[in-house]
Amino acid sequence: MENLLNIFISSIFVDNMIFAYFLGMCAFLAISKTVRTSVGFGLVILFVLAVTVPLNYLIFNYLLKQGALVWISPDLAHVDLSFLSFIMFIAVIASLTQVVEMVVEKYAPVLYNELGIFLPLVAVQCAIMGGSLFMQEREYENILEVSVFALGSGIGWLIAIVGISAIREKIRYSNIPAPLRGLGIAFIVTGLMAIGFMSFMGIRL
Amino acid sequence: MFSNRYIFIYATVLVVVIAAVLSMTAQFLQPFQQRNIRIAKIQDILTSAGIDSKRTNAEELFDRYIVEQRLINRHGDIVDDGRNPFDVELRDELRRLQDLERGRGTEEPVFPLFISEVNGERKYIVPVIGRGLWGPLWGYVALLGDFNTIAGVVFDHAGETPGLGSQIAESWFHKQFVGKRIFDDNDNFVSVRLMRGGANNPHGVDALSGGTITGDGLSETIQTSLENYVPYFRNQRRQQQQNIK
Amino acid sequence: MENKKQPLFSPANMKLLSKPLGRDNPITVQVLGVCSALAVTVQLQPAFVMAVSVIAVLAVSNLLVSLLRTTIPPRIRMIVQLMIVAFLVIIVDQILLAFAFEISRQLSIFVGLIITNCIVMGRLEAFAMTNKPWQSFLDGIGNATGYGVILLIVAFFRELLGSGTLWGFQVIPNAFYEAGYVNNGLFILPPMALILVGVMIWIHRLKNNELIEKN
Repeated sequence: MENLLNIFISSIFVDNMIFAYFLGMCAFLAISKTVRTSVGFGLVILFVLAVTVPLNYLIFNYLLKQGALVWISPDLAHVDLSFLSFIMFIAVIASLTQVVEMVVEKYAPVLYNELGIFLPLVAVQCAIMGGSLFMQEREYENILEVSVFALGSGIGWLIAIVGISAIREKIRYSNIPAPLRGLGIAFIVTGLMAIGFMSFMGIRL
Repeated sequence: MFSNRYIFIYATVLVVVIAAVLSMTAQFLQPFQQRNIRIAKIQDILTSAGIDSKRTNAEELFDRYIVEQRLINRHGDIVDDGRNPFDVELRDELRRLQDLERGRGTEEPVFPLFISEVNGERKYIVPVIGRGLWGPLWGYVALLGDFNTIAGVVFDHAGETPGLGSQIAESWFHKQFVGKRIFDDNDNFVSVRLMRGGANNPHGVDALSGGTITGDGLSETIQTSLENYVPYFRNQRRQQQQNIK
Repeated sequence: MENKKQPLFSPANMKLLSKPLGRDNPITVQVLGVCSALAVTVQLQPAFVMAVSVIAVLAVSNLLVSLLRTTIPPRIRMIVQLMIVAFLVIIVDQILLAFAFEISRQLSIFVGLIITNCIVMGRLEAFAMTNKPWQSFLDGIGNATGYGVILLIVAFFRELLGSGTLWGFQVIPNAFYEAGYVNNGLFILPPMALILVGVMIWIHRLKNNELIEKN
């Protein structure tokens, strides 16, 4: 239980996808112009992460890993398909994104229009692929840990994008040197936020 | 313009071609990758015994200085089940042990031990494996001939850990273990733990600030891995004492 | 079909190579591919390997997609592109594991993340789907190099100021340390990469005034 809580807190604050690994920066910088869109997009990311990472965990552990196929037949113990993991992960992510896209288009057309090109691009979101790859590398013990990690990472991403969009809404009224406006200052603000988030490093439980 | 049939065939052909090429590449490159993993393992073993190696001469040094490789069972006896101790993965054996304790398996676990000899001095090297905050930790612990004092250690973990826990892979941290003892004065196995102010404790090492979970994971790793060798260490120590008498 | 008569390295083609290095830099102007870029910039060596990997993947995938562009059914376009990219990335990853083991371990998951590198998908969609193979190949090299250059610049400053080394060799003389100089630990940590890129965008736009954003 303590372990789960720890993974949860860590993946939100300490190992925040944006601030510690820069995962999903493209959309992060492009979408975060208003708070409203950011919340919508952040929730989409949270949802896709929370579904794909556990799903990919099952695929990796019961299909691809060396010895994963023993549940079919003990003869398959030496089959190692883990070199296919990238392609399987991305296939799962891409198909799920397709579904999400259709759902959002149907039930939230306003959000759909605002997100524009970035919705189909959720499939190639580094944060989502990164979630699955971290899951593979860190060798979580069971599906519960994986789900908690996915949920935490998604929430961390949501917090990050909502935070920066709020700052960017206000920053519009500031007198920033012209060449730094827009993208430049967004990078620097993200950097400063990351420094802020680093103060969470000490709170490992 | 494109019929469903076409799309279906297109996708199938693409997948088959990609899968075929990938399996061939993987097949072709596998020997190289396995050799890399082997060398990395050799280098870790040598480092824990205090022998510096490069990728190019690691195998040669390993053959020269690692004079014996053994498999030990839970009762401290040397066994030979026909496998090369180098290829026995502690991780699999620990899982076997766990199965056995839960009454699920029947296979007896065996544990690898490497013995190095430099200038007549023998060191006994055992692997350790466990989990930190993020994923697996592994390493090697080398003991002096008294089967008690640590001669050197090496630890590593997969990938990048941005937090302070990644210090466990640094050599300054490894140096702190040298000279620590895993048995107390009454000959009880106490392992070596990371603790606050551990530098002054014969069985402790200074904890990592901000890396508490990783540190606890490491203490746990050392303990659960070493304790499997305790019967063997005891046997050896007893023999030594008898020899002295 | 006039294009076919053009020499391979005609001025128009060379522009495909050179433009992304300056005016159209994928990171500083198009906001593409920053994702996986920054986490591997603590030291020059992994950053360099990463840059080369991206160049290889982007150039070849651009070429392949461009060759197949008339046969790809639009409905499964995205999946086909992803498959091709993932396929190439797996090959790169396997090669790194076989021949550059140490660096591959340092790069950890970030090789896999080339699949989702926005530069790759962005260029496939925006260029390779509508252009001829050779042009696409050059465009791939150009854009990936533009990305690699940024990576290397960031890595240069982070390694120099953060660890006092370049390419693993110590460049700041010991005398400096004895005189009280200390490495700036902040440069090793993630936030500094972001701030460095911000500053680079600033400098880039000072020189290219037309890129300045209005708000």
